[in-house]
Amino acid sequence: MPLDVSPIFRSYESQRTLNPPGIPGLAPLPSGETDDTRRICEQFGEDIVAAGLHHGNQVVQVDAGRLKALATFLRDDPELRYETLIDVTSLDKSQLPQNGDSRFQTVYQFRSYARNQHLTVVADCEAGDGDNGAMPHIDSLTGVFRGAEWPEREVYDLMGIRFDGHPDLRRILMPKNWHNHPLQKQAPLGGEEVPFTFTWDDPEFDTLGTQILPSVSVAPDLPPGMSRQNMVINMGPHHPSTHGVLRLVVELDGERIVSIDPDLGFLHSGFEKTGENKRYKDFVYYTDRMDYLSSMSNNLGYCLTIEHMLGLEIPERAQVIRVIMAEMQRIASHLFWLATHVLDVSGTGMSLLMYATRERERILDLFEMVCGARLTVSYIRIGGVWQDLPDAFISELKDFLKLMPGKISEYEAMLTEAPLWQERLTDVGHIRGADALAMGLTGPMLRGSGVDWDLRRDRPYCGYEAYEFEVPTSDRGDCYGRFSIRLEEMRQSVRILEQAVANLPSGLFKSNDRKVTAPPRAELDVSMEALIHHFKLMTEGFHVPPGFFYNGIESSKGELGFYVYSDGSAKPYRLHVHGPSFNNLYAIDHISRGEMLSDVVTNIGSIDIVLGEVDR
Amino acid sequence: MGLEEKVPEGILTTSLDSVINWGRANSTWPLLFGLACCAMEMIATGTARHDIARYGSELFRASPRQADLMIVSGRVSNKMAPVIKRIYDQMLAPKWVIAMGICASAGGPFNNYAIIQGVDKIIPVDVYVPGCPPRPESLLYAMDMLRAKQKRESVGAGRKVDEPVTVDEIMPLGV
Repeated sequence: MPLDVSPIFRSYESQRTLNPPGIPGLAPLPSGETDDTRRICEQFGEDIVAAGLHHGNQVVQVDAGRLKALATFLRDDPELRYETLIDVTSLDKSQLPQNGDSRFQTVYQFRSYARNQHLTVVADCEAGDGDNGAMPHIDSLTGVFRGAEWPEREVYDLMGIRFDGHPDLRRILMPKNWHNHPLQKQAPLGGEEVPFTFTWDDPEFDTLGTQILPSVSVAPDLPPGMSRQNMVINMGPHHPSTHGVLRLVVELDGERIVSIDPDLGFLHSGFEKTGENKRYKDFVYYTDRMDYLSSMSNNLGYCLTIEHMLGLEIPERAQVIRVIMAEMQRIASHLFWLATHVLDVSGTGMSLLMYATRERERILDLFEMVCGARLTVSYIRIGGVWQDLPDAFISELKDFLKLMPGKISEYEAMLTEAPLWQERLTDVGHIRGADALAMGLTGPMLRGSGVDWDLRRDRPYCGYEAYEFEVPTSDRGDCYGRFSIRLEEMRQSVRILEQAVANLPSGLFKSNDRKVTAPPRAELDVSMEALIHHFKLMTEGFHVPPGFFYNGIESSKGELGFYVYSDGSAKPYRLHVHGPSFNNLYAIDHISRGEMLSDVVTNIGSIDIVLGEVDR
Repeated sequence: MGLEEKVPEGILTTSLDSVINWGRANSTWPLLFGLACCAMEMIATGTARHDIARYGSELFRASPRQADLMIVSGRVSNKMAPVIKRIYDQMLAPKWVIAMGICASAGGPFNNYAIIQGVDKIIPVDVYVPGCPPRPESLLYAMDMLRAKQKRESVGAGRKVDEPVTVDEIMPLGV
């Protein structure tokens, strides 16, 4: 029986009626040239369709047949040295006005840490022929960058693009018997009509719940290469140590791990598809719910991306408030990581959970003070922050900052010298720097392997260049190294917070651009113009000029990136989120091989995943 | 359910009810089971400041066989729904369900292809908690409502009253 995802689905799918007619929908071609694009053009000549700068990012559009050669060149050329592939995503161009030859496009974000360069590579996919099941296809980059494996699987799953030469092209987020590729533009958003008038006699209710699939996804599904000779055990999705709904299919020889195949998507919530059906300003509230342990960072990453596309100036005070919030969130997130990590490793170590959450509650109180919410804050908005800091906030924060360094030392005293803690963490979950780069790991996972990179310092945003702080790194590459890095990061965050509090300027807390931010309530009573702006903003939102932009920030878990393609309307045409946990979790197989089953728990904790962000 | 349903109603079962319900209502062990954002608030409820131990519910059991209460803390995806159903089936009776937050109650902001619009499409729910996510205090209030509901139940034949719990029935802690 063909499965109908949305039995009573009616009018949720956006008709994009808010677009004024005649808007140029396609992003303009990149213009100008840089050293890197010149070098690439020299090498590849006519295979480069377009190259240059777009929204400040270097962009190269390449012929699909030469994509793999270009990726190899980017990695191996001594002048370019793009060591890592941060992100792979895709675009369905079928609803754009001038719809070229190819319907699908893949988008790659390359990064050179050594040279501090970022490069976006775009390639049109080849249309599918009969042999490929009529799917569009393009060369896989897994042979060049190992970390492309999961992002390419995600693109295959959600967008329906086949990657030639991919070793293991299966669905990764959706159940394996799912019937479509949800991010394709013709696929409906789905969902159900919310029954506000509630009578059970309504025949519509007979169909409710039919979108639930039969439970085949629970049956064990061995990936190629996993042998039935060894013992295969299933860990999760309901397991106390997987930090949410993660399922690991673990192949064991005795108690040694032979391989791990993570099964994701148990918390897949369709953020990207939802984002494409919401106005720009309305998606801020969704970002809270992705990495729910660092909502502020999520808000910030999204807002910075949109503001850059709008060319919006953010007032000084708002910038500093944003830094304060992001650093408080980093401490809160690391505290929660510490609490759960200790709980996982020791099994019964409730005391550190209690201590760390005690301090975390203080931060949540401060969040509540500024925005009324503890967890899903939505405080950082496009154009600034929601409202100004309350009067008592700074003194409360100062109290907290006085207290925090002593508490961090307390945790350190409890753990660093403890022989059991050292036994469980030292030389467990080892990864070398070169592997971390090839896998596209970010954040403490990367710094724990000796790569000295922090977006706050190396590609500063929000005025981070004005703060003095150190970026802790470790050459150990094991769980212990990452543990000490995160402890030190908390100290550095306190340091940044102290500077921010001391230098908090007065002034506007959000941009005065009335096309983007709503006027204050009092103004509505006296100004007709303010009323019109408010009405336009609340009913229609604002329009973002056509173009695309990828922007990453340093969240507590790594690089949190947003890729937005705008067609000039009030809603994003394509919105992709690069969650750091997703790439970092890919390393679980690599770092756990040859270790004991109990070390898996340590490794999961050490990677610091949040499933809301992995599955999106 | 079992033998107890064959026991006729009478003075003995009424007295027995009050003893058994007193025990059940004061030591409801939740399942150690978190889905999304609400799970963070569920953990916060378990820690020192909010201290769910006052309800005798601090013992989060990882095995569904040992748990009485499932707190569905977060959005339920299509892929997760069969798993939740299975875990619920593995729990032994008597068992209760709290749908924590708007996602578990009705889908919340995620009205799309991926998310089930309310966990009550797959398992029966006793208490719905509004909020996104609900504060720990809201969850504790839900525990209060659940206690009122538990205290009405009877081991005898005439068990389970289907009417909603009223505010008057919700006892302050310790009664």
